[in-house]
Amino acid sequence: MLFLQQGPAQTTNYMIAGYTVIFGVILFYVLSLYLRHRNLKRDLDTLQELENKTNT
Amino acid sequence: METKPRLLTTLDFVTIILLAVATTLVFFFTPIEAVMGNVQKVFYFHVANAWVGMLGFMASAIAGIAYLRTGKRSWDIVGMASVEISVVFLLIAIVTGSIWARPVWNTWWTWDPRLTTAAIMELIYAAYLLLRQGIEDPDRRARFGAVYAILGFISVPLTFLSIRIFRTIHPVVIGNSDPSAQGSFDMSSAMLRTFMFSLLVFSFIFADLLWHRIRLGHLADKVEQLKLKVTQ
Amino acid sequence: MKPDPTLTHAQAANPSMASSPPSPSFIRATAAIVWKDLAAELRSRELLSAMLVFALLVILIFNFAMELDAKARATITSGVLWVTFAFAGTLGLNRSMAMEKDRGCLDGLLLAPVDRSAIYFGKAIGNLVFMFIIEAIVLPVYSVLYNINLFQPGLLLVILLGSIGYVAIGTLLASMAVQTRTRDVLLPILLFPLVIPVLVAAVKGSNGFLQGLEISEIMPWLNLLIVYDVIFTAIAFMVFDYVVEE
Repeated sequence: MLFLQQGPAQTTNYMIAGYTVIFGVILFYVLSLYLRHRNLKRDLDTLQELENKTNT
Repeated sequence: METKPRLLTTLDFVTIILLAVATTLVFFFTPIEAVMGNVQKVFYFHVANAWVGMLGFMASAIAGIAYLRTGKRSWDIVGMASVEISVVFLLIAIVTGSIWARPVWNTWWTWDPRLTTAAIMELIYAAYLLLRQGIEDPDRRARFGAVYAILGFISVPLTFLSIRIFRTIHPVVIGNSDPSAQGSFDMSSAMLRTFMFSLLVFSFIFADLLWHRIRLGHLADKVEQLKLKVTQ
Repeated sequence: MKPDPTLTHAQAANPSMASSPPSPSFIRATAAIVWKDLAAELRSRELLSAMLVFALLVILIFNFAMELDAKARATITSGVLWVTFAFAGTLGLNRSMAMEKDRGCLDGLLLAPVDRSAIYFGKAIGNLVFMFIIEAIVLPVYSVLYNINLFQPGLLLVILLGSIGYVAIGTLLASMAVQTRTRDVLLPILLFPLVIPVLVAAVKGSNGFLQGLEISEIMPWLNLLIVYDVIFTAIAFMVFDYVVEE
Protein backbone atom coordinates (compact mmCIF):
# COMPACT_ATOMS: atom_id res chain seq x y z
CA MET A 1 0.00 0.00 0.00
CA LEU A 2 2.88 2.26 0.79
CA PHE A 3 4.96 1.86 -2.34
CA LEU A 4 2.89 3.51 -5.04
CA GLN A 5 4.35 3.92 -8.47
CA GLN A 6 3.06 7.41 -8.86
CA GLY A 7 4.74 9.39 -6.06
CA PRO A 8 4.35 9.41 -2.28
CA ALA A 9 1.47 7.75 -0.45
CA GLN A 10 -1.74 9.68 0.14
CA THR A 11 -1.44 10.10 3.87
CA THR A 12 -2.63 13.68 4.19
CA ASN A 13 -5.61 12.64 6.29
CA TYR A 14 -3.32 11.15 8.87
CA MET A 15 -1.30 14.32 8.96
CA ILE A 16 -4.42 16.36 9.57
CA ALA A 17 -5.49 13.97 12.32
CA GLY A 18 -2.09 14.28 13.91
CA TYR A 19 -2.03 18.05 13.92
CA THR A 20 -5.60 18.22 15.15
CA VAL A 21 -4.54 16.15 18.13
CA ILE A 22 -1.49 18.30 18.78
CA PHE A 23 -3.22 21.66 18.66
CA GLY A 24 -6.46 20.38 20.12
CA VAL A 25 -4.85 18.94 23.22
CA ILE A 26 -2.56 21.93 23.74
CA LEU A 27 -5.53 24.29 23.46
CA PHE A 28 -7.50 22.11 25.83
CA TYR A 29 -4.72 22.22 28.42
CA VAL A 30 -4.17 25.96 28.09
CA LEU A 31 -7.92 26.46 28.48
CA SER A 32 -7.89 24.28 31.60
CA LEU A 33 -5.07 26.38 33.05
CA TYR A 34 -6.97 29.56 32.29
CA LEU A 35 -10.24 28.34 33.81
CA ARG A 36 -8.55 27.06 36.95
CA HIS A 37 -6.74 30.36 37.32
CA ARG A 38 -9.92 32.34 36.91
CA ASN A 39 -11.80 30.23 39.46
CA LEU A 40 -9.02 30.52 42.00
CA LYS A 41 -8.84 34.28 41.46
CA ARG A 42 -12.55 34.51 42.18
CA ASP A 43 -12.17 32.38 45.29
CA LEU A 44 -9.32 34.57 46.44
CA ASP A 45 -11.33 37.75 45.99
CA THR A 46 -14.31 36.29 47.84
CA LEU A 47 -12.12 35.11 50.68
CA GLN A 48 -10.33 38.43 50.93
CA GLU A 49 -13.67 40.20 51.18
CA LEU A 50 -14.72 37.81 53.91
CA GLU A 51 -11.49 38.40 55.74
CA ASN A 52 -11.92 42.16 55.59
CA LYS A 53 -15.45 41.84 56.89
CA THR A 54 -14.39 39.71 59.84
CA ASN A 55 -11.57 42.13 60.62
CA THR A 56 -13.69 45.29 60.67
CA MET B 1 2.34 36.48 43.14
CA GLU B 2 -0.75 38.21 41.93
CA THR B 3 0.24 40.50 39.14
CA LYS B 4 1.51 38.72 36.08
CA PRO B 5 5.19 39.44 35.56
CA ARG B 6 5.95 41.30 32.37
CA LEU B 7 8.59 38.71 31.47
CA LEU B 8 5.91 36.04 31.44
CA THR B 9 3.72 38.05 29.09
CA THR B 10 6.72 38.50 26.81
CA LEU B 11 7.42 34.78 26.98
CA ASP B 12 3.80 34.08 26.06
CA PHE B 13 4.09 36.19 22.94
CA VAL B 14 7.47 34.81 21.94
CA THR B 15 6.24 31.24 22.39
CA ILE B 16 3.12 31.79 20.31
CA ILE B 17 5.13 33.40 17.53
CA LEU B 18 7.68 30.60 17.59
CA LEU B 19 4.92 28.02 17.37
CA ALA B 20 3.38 29.85 14.42
CA VAL B 21 6.74 29.98 12.67
CA ALA B 22 7.37 26.30 13.29
CA THR B 23 3.94 25.35 11.98
CA THR B 24 4.52 27.42 8.86
CA LEU B 25 7.88 25.75 8.32
CA VAL B 26 6.32 22.34 8.65
CA PHE B 27 3.55 22.99 6.19
CA PHE B 28 5.30 25.17 3.64
CA PHE B 29 9.03 24.85 3.96
CA THR B 30 9.61 21.14 4.36
CA PRO B 31 9.30 18.81 1.40
CA ILE B 32 6.80 16.00 1.18
CA GLU B 33 8.54 12.78 2.01
CA ALA B 34 8.96 10.61 -1.04
CA VAL B 35 7.59 7.36 0.29
CA MET B 36 5.16 7.93 3.12
CA GLY B 37 3.74 11.26 2.03
CA ASN B 38 2.35 13.95 4.25
CA VAL B 39 2.02 11.93 7.41
CA GLN B 40 5.76 12.23 7.88
CA LYS B 41 5.24 15.88 8.80
CA VAL B 42 3.66 14.77 12.04
CA PHE B 43 7.13 13.62 13.01
CA TYR B 44 8.46 17.14 13.65
CA PHE B 45 6.09 17.94 16.48
CA HIS B 46 5.75 14.32 17.58
CA VAL B 47 9.39 14.08 18.62
CA ALA B 48 9.30 17.57 20.13
CA ASN B 49 6.37 16.52 22.32
CA ALA B 50 8.15 13.37 23.44
CA TRP B 51 11.14 15.52 24.26
CA VAL B 52 9.00 17.75 26.49
CA GLY B 53 7.63 14.64 28.18
CA MET B 54 11.13 13.54 29.08
CA LEU B 55 12.19 17.04 30.16
CA GLY B 56 9.29 17.12 32.58
CA PHE B 57 10.26 13.75 33.96
CA MET B 58 13.74 14.98 34.73
CA ALA B 59 12.43 18.24 36.14
CA SER B 60 10.08 16.43 38.51
CA ALA B 61 12.88 14.20 39.79
CA ILE B 62 15.18 17.17 40.37
CA ALA B 63 12.37 19.07 42.07
CA GLY B 64 11.74 15.99 44.17
CA ILE B 65 15.30 15.80 45.38
CA ALA B 66 15.29 19.53 46.04
CA TYR B 67 12.09 19.27 48.06
CA LEU B 68 13.40 16.44 50.21
CA ARG B 69 16.56 18.37 50.93
CA THR B 70 15.10 21.79 51.60
CA GLY B 71 11.48 21.17 52.55
CA LYS B 72 10.51 24.29 50.61
CA ARG B 73 6.94 24.26 49.31
CA SER B 74 7.93 25.87 45.96
CA TRP B 75 9.82 22.76 44.94
CA ASP B 76 6.75 20.63 45.39
CA ILE B 77 4.76 23.02 43.20
CA VAL B 78 7.46 22.79 40.52
CA GLY B 79 7.39 19.00 40.70
CA MET B 80 3.64 18.79 40.40
CA ALA B 81 3.60 21.30 37.54
CA SER B 82 6.25 19.37 35.60
CA VAL B 83 4.37 16.12 35.92
CA GLU B 84 1.06 17.62 34.89
CA ILE B 85 2.49 19.27 31.77
CA SER B 86 4.45 16.18 30.83
CA VAL B 87 1.44 13.90 31.14
CA VAL B 88 -0.27 16.05 28.53
CA PHE B 89 2.66 16.30 26.13
CA LEU B 90 3.73 12.70 26.40
CA LEU B 91 0.14 11.74 25.64
CA ILE B 92 0.23 13.88 22.52
CA ALA B 93 3.49 12.22 21.55
CA ILE B 94 2.11 8.72 22.00
CA VAL B 95 -1.11 9.45 20.09
CA THR B 96 0.64 11.21 17.21
CA GLY B 97 3.16 8.41 17.09
CA SER B 98 0.30 5.97 16.75
CA ILE B 99 -1.28 8.07 14.00
CA TRP B 100 2.02 8.10 12.15
CA ALA B 101 2.52 4.38 12.65
CA ARG B 102 -0.79 3.34 11.16
CA PRO B 103 -0.09 4.16 7.51
CA VAL B 104 3.65 3.61 7.75
CA TRP B 105 3.96 0.40 9.77
CA ASN B 106 0.43 -0.81 9.11
CA THR B 107 -0.29 -1.08 12.81
CA TRP B 108 -1.45 1.31 15.51
CA TRP B 109 1.04 0.00 18.03
CA THR B 110 4.19 -2.05 18.40
CA TRP B 111 6.01 -3.21 21.50
CA ASP B 112 9.39 -1.84 20.59
CA PRO B 113 11.56 -0.31 23.36
CA ARG B 114 10.71 3.33 22.77
CA LEU B 115 6.95 2.97 22.52
CA THR B 116 6.78 0.56 25.41
CA THR B 117 8.92 2.79 27.59
CA ALA B 118 6.82 5.82 26.65
CA ALA B 119 3.67 4.00 27.66
CA ILE B 120 5.24 2.97 30.95
CA MET B 121 6.38 6.54 31.60
CA GLU B 122 2.85 7.76 31.08
CA LEU B 123 1.62 5.14 33.55
CA ILE B 124 4.21 6.27 36.08
CA TYR B 125 2.94 9.83 35.71
CA ALA B 126 -0.62 8.63 36.19
CA ALA B 127 0.43 6.70 39.30
CA TYR B 128 2.10 9.84 40.62
CA LEU B 129 -1.12 11.81 40.21
CA LEU B 130 -3.18 9.05 41.83
CA LEU B 131 -0.74 8.88 44.72
CA ARG B 132 -1.07 12.59 45.39
CA GLN B 133 -4.83 12.46 45.12
CA GLY B 134 -4.97 9.92 47.92
CA ILE B 135 -3.18 12.06 50.48
CA GLU B 136 -4.76 14.86 52.50
CA ASP B 137 -1.78 16.26 54.35
CA PRO B 138 0.07 18.64 52.00
CA ASP B 139 3.49 17.96 53.48
CA ARG B 140 3.12 14.20 53.20
CA ARG B 141 1.72 14.61 49.70
CA ALA B 142 4.78 16.60 48.72
CA ARG B 143 7.21 14.12 50.29
CA PHE B 144 5.62 11.05 48.74
CA GLY B 145 5.34 12.78 45.37
CA ALA B 146 9.02 13.66 45.54
CA VAL B 147 10.04 10.11 46.42
CA TYR B 148 7.92 8.57 43.67
CA ALA B 149 9.17 11.05 41.08
CA ILE B 150 12.74 10.09 41.92
CA LEU B 151 12.01 6.36 41.84
CA GLY B 152 10.14 6.71 38.57
CA PHE B 153 12.88 8.70 36.91
CA ILE B 154 15.56 6.16 37.80
CA SER B 155 13.49 3.15 36.80
CA VAL B 156 12.82 4.38 33.26
CA PRO B 157 16.34 3.95 31.81
CA LEU B 158 16.45 0.47 33.33
CA THR B 159 13.07 -0.32 31.78
CA PHE B 160 14.24 0.91 28.40
CA LEU B 161 17.41 -1.13 28.70
CA SER B 162 15.55 -4.28 29.65
CA ILE B 163 13.26 -4.05 26.64
CA ARG B 164 16.18 -3.17 24.38
CA ILE B 165 18.07 -6.31 25.39
CA PHE B 166 14.84 -8.22 24.95
CA ARG B 167 14.71 -7.06 21.36
CA THR B 168 18.33 -7.68 20.43
CA ILE B 169 18.46 -11.20 21.77
CA HIS B 170 15.05 -12.10 20.44
CA PRO B 171 14.51 -10.39 17.13
CA VAL B 172 10.97 -10.28 15.84
CA VAL B 173 10.42 -13.62 14.17
CA ILE B 174 6.86 -13.06 13.07
CA GLY B 175 6.68 -10.44 10.35
CA ASN B 176 9.29 -9.45 7.86
CA SER B 177 11.61 -7.40 9.99
CA ASP B 178 11.72 -4.92 12.84
CA PRO B 179 8.91 -2.52 11.96
CA SER B 180 10.92 0.47 13.01
CA ALA B 181 13.31 -0.27 10.19
CA GLN B 182 10.58 0.44 7.72
CA GLY B 183 9.46 4.00 7.66
CA SER B 184 12.84 5.46 8.45
CA PHE B 185 13.91 8.27 6.17
CA ASP B 186 16.92 10.43 5.58
CA MET B 187 16.40 14.01 6.54
CA SER B 188 17.16 16.69 4.01
CA SER B 189 18.60 19.89 5.40
CA ALA B 190 15.19 21.61 5.37
CA MET B 191 13.76 18.75 7.36
CA LEU B 192 16.64 18.75 9.81
CA ARG B 193 16.44 22.46 10.46
CA THR B 194 12.68 22.31 10.96
CA PHE B 195 13.15 19.38 13.27
CA MET B 196 15.70 21.16 15.44
CA PHE B 197 13.61 24.30 15.42
CA SER B 198 10.55 22.34 16.58
CA LEU B 199 12.55 20.98 19.49
CA LEU B 200 13.45 24.53 20.44
CA VAL B 201 9.89 25.76 20.12
CA PHE B 202 8.50 23.04 22.32
CA SER B 203 11.16 23.68 24.93
CA PHE B 204 9.84 27.23 25.00
CA ILE B 205 6.28 25.93 25.28
CA PHE B 206 7.34 23.74 28.19
CA ALA B 207 8.99 26.63 30.00
CA ASP B 208 6.06 28.94 29.38
CA LEU B 209 3.40 26.48 30.51
CA LEU B 210 5.56 25.46 33.49
CA TRP B 211 5.77 29.04 34.67
CA HIS B 212 2.00 29.47 34.33
CA ARG B 213 1.32 26.21 36.12
CA ILE B 214 3.69 27.11 38.96
CA ARG B 215 1.91 30.43 39.41
CA LEU B 216 -1.35 28.54 39.51
CA GLY B 217 0.06 26.27 42.20
CA HIS B 218 1.11 29.20 44.37
CA LEU B 219 -2.28 30.81 43.89
CA ALA B 220 -4.00 27.60 44.95
CA ASP B 221 -1.84 27.47 48.07
CA LYS B 222 -2.76 31.04 48.92
CA VAL B 223 -6.46 30.30 48.54
CA GLU B 224 -6.13 27.23 50.77
CA GLN B 225 -4.36 29.18 53.49
CA LEU B 226 -6.89 31.97 53.36
CA LYS B 227 -9.72 29.46 53.46
CA LEU B 228 -8.34 27.97 56.65
CA LYS B 229 -7.87 31.39 58.18
CA VAL B 230 -11.32 32.69 57.39
CA THR B 231 -13.24 29.57 58.37
CA GLN B 232 -11.72 29.42 61.82
CA MET C 1 28.76 5.33 48.69
CA LYS C 2 28.80 8.14 51.20
CA PRO C 3 25.31 9.47 51.89
CA ASP C 4 25.18 13.20 52.43
CA PRO C 5 25.05 13.71 56.22
CA THR C 6 22.33 16.34 55.83
CA LEU C 7 20.12 14.04 53.85
CA THR C 8 18.55 12.14 56.72
CA HIS C 9 18.19 13.49 60.18
CA ALA C 10 18.62 9.99 61.50
CA GLN C 11 22.09 9.94 60.10
CA ALA C 12 22.78 13.36 61.55
CA ALA C 13 21.78 12.04 64.94
CA ASN C 14 24.07 9.11 64.46
CA PRO C 15 27.17 10.58 62.84
CA SER C 16 28.86 7.22 62.88
CA MET C 17 26.25 5.99 60.44
CA ALA C 18 27.47 8.26 57.70
CA SER C 19 30.53 6.34 56.66
CA SER C 20 31.12 3.28 58.82
CA PRO C 21 29.70 -0.24 58.51
CA PRO C 22 26.32 -0.77 60.20
CA SER C 23 26.69 -0.65 63.96
CA PRO C 24 25.72 -3.71 65.99
CA SER C 25 22.58 -1.96 67.23
CA PHE C 26 21.47 -1.46 63.62
CA ILE C 27 21.86 -5.13 62.87
CA ARG C 28 20.20 -6.07 66.10
CA ALA C 29 17.29 -3.75 65.41
CA THR C 30 16.87 -5.13 61.92
CA ALA C 31 17.02 -8.68 63.18
CA ALA C 32 14.50 -7.87 65.90
CA ILE C 33 12.02 -6.56 63.37
CA VAL C 34 12.47 -9.58 61.11
CA TRP C 35 12.04 -11.88 64.04
CA LYS C 36 8.94 -10.03 65.22
CA ASP C 37 7.30 -10.44 61.83
CA LEU C 38 8.24 -14.08 61.51
CA ALA C 39 7.12 -14.95 65.02
CA ALA C 40 3.82 -13.13 64.60
CA GLU C 41 3.24 -14.87 61.32
CA LEU C 42 4.13 -18.25 62.75
CA ARG C 43 1.42 -17.84 65.33
CA SER C 44 -1.37 -16.52 63.16
CA ARG C 45 -0.33 -17.67 59.70
CA GLU C 46 -2.88 -15.31 58.15
CA LEU C 47 -0.46 -13.66 55.78
CA LEU C 48 1.12 -16.81 54.44
CA SER C 49 -2.12 -18.70 53.99
CA ALA C 50 -3.61 -15.79 52.07
CA MET C 51 -0.58 -15.49 49.82
CA LEU C 52 -0.41 -19.23 49.28
CA VAL C 53 -4.04 -19.77 48.42
CA PHE C 54 -3.90 -16.80 46.12
CA ALA C 55 -0.81 -18.09 44.34
CA LEU C 56 -2.33 -21.51 43.80
CA LEU C 57 -5.52 -19.95 42.48
CA VAL C 58 -3.51 -17.89 40.00
CA ILE C 59 -1.83 -21.03 38.70
CA LEU C 60 -5.22 -22.68 38.42
CA ILE C 61 -6.67 -19.76 36.50
CA PHE C 62 -3.74 -19.77 34.11
CA ASN C 63 -4.39 -23.40 33.42
CA PHE C 64 -7.87 -22.62 32.19
CA ALA C 65 -7.11 -19.25 30.65
CA MET C 66 -4.46 -20.75 28.43
CA GLU C 67 -5.16 -24.24 27.20
CA LEU C 68 -1.78 -25.36 26.06
CA ASP C 69 -0.03 -28.49 25.02
CA ALA C 70 3.12 -29.52 26.81
CA LYS C 71 5.38 -27.87 24.26
CA ALA C 72 3.76 -24.44 24.43
CA ARG C 73 3.72 -24.62 28.19
CA ALA C 74 7.46 -24.89 28.29
CA THR C 75 7.80 -21.43 26.80
CA ILE C 76 5.35 -19.67 29.05
CA THR C 77 6.24 -21.28 32.37
CA SER C 78 8.52 -18.40 33.31
CA GLY C 79 5.82 -15.87 32.54
CA VAL C 80 3.19 -17.70 34.56
CA LEU C 81 5.55 -18.13 37.50
CA TRP C 82 6.50 -14.48 37.64
CA VAL C 83 2.97 -13.19 37.24
CA THR C 84 2.05 -15.44 40.13
CA PHE C 85 4.91 -14.16 42.26
CA ALA C 86 4.19 -10.56 41.38
CA PHE C 87 0.54 -10.74 42.38
CA ALA C 88 1.03 -12.85 45.48
CA GLY C 89 3.89 -10.56 46.42
CA THR C 90 1.63 -7.55 46.24
CA LEU C 91 -0.70 -9.22 48.67
CA GLY C 92 2.14 -9.91 51.07
CA LEU C 93 3.54 -6.40 50.87
CA ASN C 94 0.17 -4.81 51.48
CA ARG C 95 -0.77 -6.95 54.45
CA SER C 96 2.65 -6.74 56.00
CA MET C 97 2.59 -2.94 56.07
CA ALA C 98 -1.10 -2.70 56.90
CA MET C 99 -0.56 -4.78 60.01
CA GLU C 100 2.04 -2.31 61.21
CA LYS C 101 -0.19 0.66 60.60
CA ASP C 102 -3.37 -0.83 62.00
CA ARG C 103 -1.91 -2.18 65.18
CA GLY C 104 0.01 1.01 65.78
CA CYS C 105 3.26 -0.89 65.64
CA LEU C 106 4.72 1.56 63.17
CA ASP C 107 4.47 4.44 65.59
CA GLY C 108 6.02 2.35 68.29
CA LEU C 109 8.90 1.42 66.03
CA LEU C 110 9.41 5.03 65.06
CA LEU C 111 9.68 6.06 68.70
CA ALA C 112 12.38 3.51 69.33
CA PRO C 113 15.94 4.94 69.39
CA VAL C 114 16.91 3.09 66.26
CA ASP C 115 17.93 4.19 62.78
CA ARG C 116 14.81 4.37 60.61
CA SER C 117 16.52 2.41 57.87
CA ALA C 118 16.65 -0.55 60.22
CA ILE C 119 12.88 -0.58 60.03
CA TYR C 120 13.10 -0.63 56.26
CA PHE C 121 15.60 -3.46 56.18
CA GLY C 122 13.71 -5.39 58.80
CA LYS C 123 10.44 -5.15 56.93
CA ALA C 124 12.10 -5.83 53.59
CA ILE C 125 13.87 -8.93 54.83
CA GLY C 126 10.65 -10.11 56.45
CA ASN C 127 8.78 -9.60 53.18
CA LEU C 128 11.55 -11.39 51.33
CA VAL C 129 11.34 -14.38 53.64
CA PHE C 130 7.59 -14.57 53.06
CA MET C 131 8.11 -14.44 49.32
CA PHE C 132 10.66 -17.23 49.54
CA ILE C 133 8.25 -19.37 51.49
CA ILE C 134 5.56 -18.87 48.88
CA GLU C 135 8.00 -19.56 46.07
CA ALA C 136 9.21 -22.65 47.87
CA ILE C 137 5.69 -24.00 47.80
CA VAL C 138 4.64 -22.83 44.36
CA LEU C 139 7.67 -24.32 42.61
CA PRO C 140 7.07 -27.95 43.58
CA VAL C 141 3.33 -27.58 42.97
CA TYR C 142 3.93 -26.24 39.50
CA SER C 143 6.59 -28.85 38.81
CA VAL C 144 4.20 -31.61 39.71
CA LEU C 145 1.19 -30.19 37.89
CA TYR C 146 3.06 -29.56 34.67
CA ASN C 147 5.79 -32.14 34.78
CA ILE C 148 8.67 -29.68 34.58
CA ASN C 149 11.67 -29.79 36.84
CA LEU C 150 11.89 -26.31 38.29
CA PHE C 151 14.61 -27.01 40.80
CA GLN C 152 17.56 -25.92 38.76
CA PRO C 153 20.23 -23.75 40.41
CA GLY C 154 20.10 -21.18 37.62
CA LEU C 155 16.38 -20.71 37.96
CA LEU C 156 16.65 -20.49 41.72
CA LEU C 157 19.28 -17.80 41.34
CA VAL C 158 16.99 -15.75 39.10
CA ILE C 159 14.15 -16.16 41.56
CA LEU C 160 16.44 -14.98 44.36
CA LEU C 161 17.60 -11.88 42.51
CA GLY C 162 14.16 -11.05 41.17
CA SER C 163 12.52 -11.38 44.57
CA ILE C 164 15.12 -9.12 46.14
CA GLY C 165 14.47 -6.37 43.59
CA TYR C 166 10.74 -6.74 43.88
CA VAL C 167 10.76 -6.60 47.65
CA ALA C 168 13.31 -3.77 47.84
CA ILE C 169 11.12 -1.34 45.99
CA GLY C 170 7.86 -2.97 47.05
CA THR C 171 8.52 -2.44 50.76
CA LEU C 172 9.23 1.24 50.20
CA LEU C 173 6.14 1.76 48.06
CA ALA C 174 3.96 -0.23 50.45
CA SER C 175 5.06 2.05 53.27
CA MET C 176 3.76 4.95 51.23
CA ALA C 177 0.61 3.30 49.96
CA VAL C 178 -0.51 2.25 53.41
CA GLN C 179 -0.56 5.88 54.51
CA THR C 180 -2.93 7.00 51.78
CA ARG C 181 -6.70 6.86 51.53
CA THR C 182 -6.69 4.38 48.67
CA ARG C 183 -4.25 1.97 50.35
CA ASP C 184 -4.38 -1.56 48.92
CA VAL C 185 -5.54 -0.46 45.51
CA LEU C 186 -2.68 1.97 45.14
CA LEU C 187 0.24 -0.38 45.69
CA PRO C 188 -0.01 -2.32 42.40
CA ILE C 189 -0.49 0.97 40.53
CA LEU C 190 2.65 2.41 42.07
CA LEU C 191 4.65 -0.78 41.93
CA PHE C 192 4.13 -2.42 38.57
CA PRO C 193 5.41 0.33 36.28
CA LEU C 194 8.58 0.63 38.34
CA VAL C 195 9.22 -3.08 38.64
CA ILE C 196 9.07 -3.89 34.93
CA PRO C 197 12.84 -4.24 34.52
CA VAL C 198 12.78 -6.91 37.22
CA LEU C 199 9.90 -8.76 35.61
CA VAL C 200 11.38 -8.65 32.12
CA ALA C 201 14.82 -9.74 33.31
CA ALA C 202 13.43 -12.40 35.65
CA VAL C 203 11.17 -13.92 33.02
CA LYS C 204 13.84 -13.93 30.33
CA GLY C 205 16.44 -15.20 32.78
CA SER C 206 14.18 -17.96 34.07
CA ASN C 207 13.27 -18.90 30.55
CA GLY C 208 16.92 -18.99 29.57
CA PHE C 209 17.75 -21.48 32.27
CA LEU C 210 14.68 -23.60 31.62
CA GLN C 211 15.39 -23.77 27.91
CA GLY C 212 19.03 -24.53 28.57
CA LEU C 213 20.44 -21.53 26.75
CA GLU C 214 24.11 -20.55 26.83
CA ILE C 215 25.12 -18.76 29.99
CA SER C 216 26.44 -15.88 27.90
CA GLU C 217 22.93 -15.23 26.65
CA ILE C 218 21.51 -15.20 30.16
CA MET C 219 24.21 -13.00 31.69
CA PRO C 220 22.70 -9.68 30.52
CA TRP C 221 19.54 -10.52 32.42
CA LEU C 222 21.39 -11.48 35.57
CA ASN C 223 23.43 -8.31 35.35
CA LEU C 224 20.32 -6.22 34.93
CA LEU C 225 18.76 -7.84 37.99
CA ILE C 226 21.84 -7.22 40.09
CA VAL C 227 22.08 -3.59 38.96
CA TYR C 228 18.41 -3.02 39.72
CA ASP C 229 18.69 -4.65 43.13
CA VAL C 230 21.69 -2.57 44.12
CA ILE C 231 20.32 0.73 42.85
CA PHE C 232 16.89 0.44 44.37
CA THR C 233 17.99 -0.97 47.69
CA ALA C 234 20.38 1.97 47.98
CA ILE C 235 17.72 4.51 47.06
CA ALA C 236 15.18 2.98 49.42
CA PHE C 237 17.76 3.13 52.19
CA MET C 238 18.36 6.82 51.53
CA VAL C 239 14.76 7.81 51.12
CA PHE C 240 12.88 5.71 53.69
CA ASP C 241 13.16 8.34 56.41
CA TYR C 242 11.12 10.77 54.38
CA VAL C 243 8.40 8.22 53.92
CA VAL C 244 7.77 7.47 57.57
CA GLU C 245 8.39 10.79 59.26
CA GLU C 246 5.35 12.21 60.92
